[in-house]
Amino acid sequence: MRVLLQPAFLLHRRPYRDSSLLLEAFTQEHGRLGLVARGASSPRSRLKGLLQPFAPLLLSWTGAGELATLTGAEDAGRPVSLPPHRVLSGLYVNELLVRLLPRLDPQPGLFAVYRELLAALATAPGEEPPLRRFEKRLLEDLGYGLTLDRESVSGAPIVAEERYCYVLDRGPLAADRAAAGVPISGRGLLALRDGTLTDPAVLGEVKRLIRAALAEQLRGRALKTRELYRVKRETSPTLPPPARESER
Amino acid sequence: MAASPLLNQLMAALRCLPGVGPKSAQRMALHLLERDRDGAGRLVETLRAALEGIGHCRQCRDLSETEICAFCANPRRDRTSLCVLETPADVLAVEQSTGFQGLYFVLMGHLSPLDGIGPAELGLETLEARLDGGEVREIILATNPTVEGEATAYYIAELARERGIRATRIAHGVPLGGELEYVDSGTLAHAFAGRREVS
Repeated sequence: MRVLLQPAFLLHRRPYRDSSLLLEAFTQEHGRLGLVARGASSPRSRLKGLLQPFAPLLLSWTGAGELATLTGAEDAGRPVSLPPHRVLSGLYVNELLVRLLPRLDPQPGLFAVYRELLAALATAPGEEPPLRRFEKRLLEDLGYGLTLDRESVSGAPIVAEERYCYVLDRGPLAADRAAAGVPISGRGLLALRDGTLTDPAVLGEVKRLIRAALAEQLRGRALKTRELYRVKRETSPTLPPPARESER
Repeated sequence: MAASPLLNQLMAALRCLPGVGPKSAQRMALHLLERDRDGAGRLVETLRAALEGIGHCRQCRDLSETEICAFCANPRRDRTSLCVLETPADVLAVEQSTGFQGLYFVLMGHLSPLDGIGPAELGLETLEARLDGGEVREIILATNPTVEGEATAYYIAELARERGIRATRIAHGVPLGGELEYVDSGTLAHAFAGRREVS
């Protein structure tokens, strides 16, 4: 099979043999796939600067199966340059996709959302709202979307002022009906449904819920990037505001 | 050709070298056995001595025969500036071309969470202890201009900033003698963002 100039982003790359790279790409019409880029890490390779995560690319490849051979790469428009303090979030999302997306399963909708997420990470003042929106969409596209509009037992609409417990395989239950599950306010559920995540208190609740839902999909295996976040927080309790970047 | 088992083993072993495929491995093996047995003997001894004798400098993690490497032990070098690099090859490159007089710290890689490489694998605790020591006033982040290199540089810059140490990043841009037309868009965007006053 020969594919020409397919819109794609790289999720990961690692050296392979002497001068080649193994790429993990997220493509618009073919989903996630593995590619061998022969000679791409040799000193003279033109592709080296191009084949970076977060850069919009047009990739061409041949071969069927899980590992195809890259035959060409071009940049597709202006590169998204993530500011240094957002790169970790970008790597986190890439790890999520590598771990959760099955290979060769087309996800054109999610691809568009990923592109928007990168743009948001590059410019938005807060990184958490776009990250949560992306994670919610990822769960939906994997077939494990969260129920956010009605109580699971009674089917009654979610009330902003009520308290709920989200039981992962059932949905939100009124707090007095369930002891287990992730506690969350009605406001939090509705904010996540509408994607309007501005209130810091709501963000905290939503983060716990999504983290629990993702943990179930990851089947208990920890995310490496999250470990990095934790170490980072321990060593630097006060992250400087992004504005200080310009001083460097 | 049905080569002897030892010869096959030798050719397989030689293929661990970069750029050596089956054909070159065969040429090397036959050359050593047929024409240069003395050279092969020297190679064996030197390789063994190097393997046993060369470890990592306790201060900068660069390859070194002694516990403290020649750079770190040199009293004439500027102990207030520290250049952080990814590999020993980067140390040689900087040393040969920049006239940098400070000290080095070699990470032996970059942060790469998906490959399981975190701060511990890069010896960042050693680096933190070094920064806590109070001698270093400027840390020059010369990790590669890749996404992972940038993440690593940012992480280390944070460590420096907490301690009030100046952190600088090497510039990236158009190579000398290069033509803008042929420079990839990422590099050109960087070069533009990092433009400087003409003095």
